[in-house]
Amino acid sequence: MLEARQRVAPLVPDIDPGDLLLILQSLLRPIGTGRRFFLRRRDSGGYVF
Amino acid sequence: MSSDESFLQDVVAALHRVGLEAIVVGTVAGVLNGAPVMTQDLDLLVRDTPKNREKIGKLSAALQIAPPVQVSELSKAITLLGGALPIDILFDALPGGLTFEALRSRSSRVQIGDSAATVAALADVIASKQAAGRPKDLAQLPILRQTERVRAALKGGKSV
Repeated sequence: MLEARQRVAPLVPDIDPGDLLLILQSLLRPIGTGRRFFLRRRDSGGYVF
Repeated sequence: MSSDESFLQDVVAALHRVGLEAIVVGTVAGVLNGAPVMTQDLDLLVRDTPKNREKIGKLSAALQIAPPVQVSELSKAITLLGGALPIDILFDALPGGLTFEALRSRSSRVQIGDSAATVAALADVIASKQAAGRPKDLAQLPILRQTERVRAALKGGKSV
C-alpha cells in the first residue's frame, strides 16, 4: 500500500493524499475480502452499512 | 466475505442458474472496478426480450424474493424487492446512449465466489452517471474519475 502510494502520488499530484490513500485501499482490495458497499435504510430514516 | 459480497455472489449465481445475461452497471460496477463508493441497490442491464422477461421472473423465484415490479411509468425499468437489497433491472441501454452491446464489449469479468459477473467498465459507469445528471450521480463523479486516474497510474505509470 505505502509502496503503491509512493509510486502513484507523483503522477496524480492534484489528488488529496487522504483521498489517494482511500482510493488505493479500495483498488488494492479484491472483492471477496470483506468489503462493504451497500447502505441499508433503517425505519428511522437513517442509513447503516 | 462480507454480507454485501455474499448478496452479490448469490445474485450472480442466480443469474447463471436462470441463464440471464446481465451486465452489472451503476455504483456496484464502480465498486467492482475498485472505487470507494457506496450505494443502496444493485443495477443490472439486460436486453429487453420476451425470453429475458421470463428469465427475470425465474430470477426472482431463484432468489426467493417478490416478483418484479415497475416502479415508475416514466421508465420501463423494474425492481426486485424483498431481498437483502433492491435489484433494479434496466433494459437495453443506459443514459448517454450506452447500449447493452457497447457496454458488454468494454466490460470485464469479475469473479465473485464461484461465479463471474460481467461488469461495466469504469469509464462507462462515469459516462452513464454524467448523462443521467441526477444529483446523486453527479456527486459520485469526482471520486469515480479520481479512481480511474489512479488505476491508470497504477497500471501504466501515467495518469489519464
